[in-house]
Amino acid sequence: MVRTVSNRVFDPAKSALEEIGDMMILTGKTLVSAVRPPYSYGDEFVHQFLFALRLCWFPLLISTVAFGFGAPGLQAANFLVLFGSLDRLGGFFVLASIREFAPFVTAVVLAGVAGTAITADLGARKIREELDALQVLGIDPIKSLVVPRFLALMIVTGLFDVYALLFGIFGGVVATLANGAPLGPFWATFFSNASVTDLWGSFLKCTLFGAIIAVVCCYKGMTAKGGAEGVGRAVNQAVVIAFMGVFAFNYVFTQTLLATNPEMLVIK
Amino acid sequence: MSSPLSGAKDALAGFGEMGRFSGRVVGQVLTLRVLRFLGEALRQCGVLIVSSTVVIWGLVFVIGLQCGLEGAYFTRSIGSPAYAGVFAAWCDLRELVPYAFGYMMAAKVGTGIVAELGSMRISDEIDALEVMGFDSVLFLCATRLLAAWLVLPFMYVASIGAGFFASYLAVVEQVGDVSSGGYLLIFWMFQNPPDLLYSLIKAMAMATLIVLVGCYYGYHAGGGPVGVGTATAKSMVVNLIIVHIIGMLGTQLFWGANPRAPIGG
Repeated sequence: MVRTVSNRVFDPAKSALEEIGDMMILTGKTLVSAVRPPYSYGDEFVHQFLFALRLCWFPLLISTVAFGFGAPGLQAANFLVLFGSLDRLGGFFVLASIREFAPFVTAVVLAGVAGTAITADLGARKIREELDALQVLGIDPIKSLVVPRFLALMIVTGLFDVYALLFGIFGGVVATLANGAPLGPFWATFFSNASVTDLWGSFLKCTLFGAIIAVVCCYKGMTAKGGAEGVGRAVNQAVVIAFMGVFAFNYVFTQTLLATNPEMLVIK
Repeated sequence: MSSPLSGAKDALAGFGEMGRFSGRVVGQVLTLRVLRFLGEALRQCGVLIVSSTVVIWGLVFVIGLQCGLEGAYFTRSIGSPAYAGVFAAWCDLRELVPYAFGYMMAAKVGTGIVAELGSMRISDEIDALEVMGFDSVLFLCATRLLAAWLVLPFMYVASIGAGFFASYLAVVEQVGDVSSGGYLLIFWMFQNPPDLLYSLIKAMAMATLIVLVGCYYGYHAGGGPVGVGTATAKSMVVNLIIVHIIGMLGTQLFWGANPRAPIGG
């Protein structure tokens, strides 16, 4: 009796911990495999990079403009209009867009679009035993499949951060125009408040989000089992774990960045 | 020359198909034909509660922490840390809790439905249902939509609570520039019951569309195990776009013309 109850409680916790451990091992193996010659993954890397780019540009465009116009744009503009200081919206967008929502909207879209596609692809290969076939042929699946996806997703997520910044701020511009205000003050407060620390923090955060997404999605794809339902379930779990990982990491990273760089908090 | 045009045409055709399918499912629920399978609907409610609640609350909690953190540091920088509650109240209730709920609904419930229905389609279970004389759309999709409508309003209101609690922790206990009473005074002053209702409407619109998109992609999956995976991935793309568009339209509709803030006269 006691044993069954304790098993019910501890077994899920144990398997979750084991899974996290396996993902860490996969990260380590991927990093080692990426730097150790031969560098045979070039073609696949380019292919995956273009694949993610082609898949994500349109959803990301719509998402960032909508988010930038709605959440920080309209709500903050409403608040600022009450005080007659709509010009401050530009300064607020440094906080809202660069520091916060451009990285996480990019991560959500990349996890939901490119990450799920990677899991579905690797999961299908696993189910059809192509991964075992690769190993029989003497080809390391980590080097030939995981490393190029990991590097491509990491770099593409980092670069998409810049794209998301541009379109997020475009959402803010639309919100300013919707309030009938001139754009000059918006840009003036935006550029006087923007700092280099903000930009590299955003860029670094987003690149690491890409690494989290890539490892989770590759791991879930390579361990899919149980036929058609298994691939679908792997995609489902991959995107859930990737979201939780990204947002938990976001919290820790933002807290550390804000607490260790007090000079970026000063409003100019 | 013709390929971009035909691509757009295909997309539009797919959109129309999805609309027709969704109309059929919603009609079956609204005309109460779904009550023939009330037992199945209640079972789906149970599945939703047991498997998705904790994950959704977890994501909303983490985002609530984030709102509180940004609010605390931002109001510190303009020299009014006592007003962190304004930022937290608006950020939580109006914007990010609906978004977080939509993201997790899409990730957990939406893709889950696609995977489940897709594998039923692949293993010919849906055809078997039809052969036995069941209306498969009614049995599989309408029951899931009814279950979502029964369970999610309560789950969403509770998840707002999780977000509020997390913001409180971040502002008062972690950063600690403002006393508990000072924070809560401002926090409750800058929201009112209509805001809660609007937020709920936004979230339920997202949830309804996510369930419908999930049912459509799962019901129409094809092409073996690979097809199920691809359908799951595709449904996620559509869901993300829907979540962001509804978030924006909701904000514009409910708060665009009226900030609903206790400032000025």
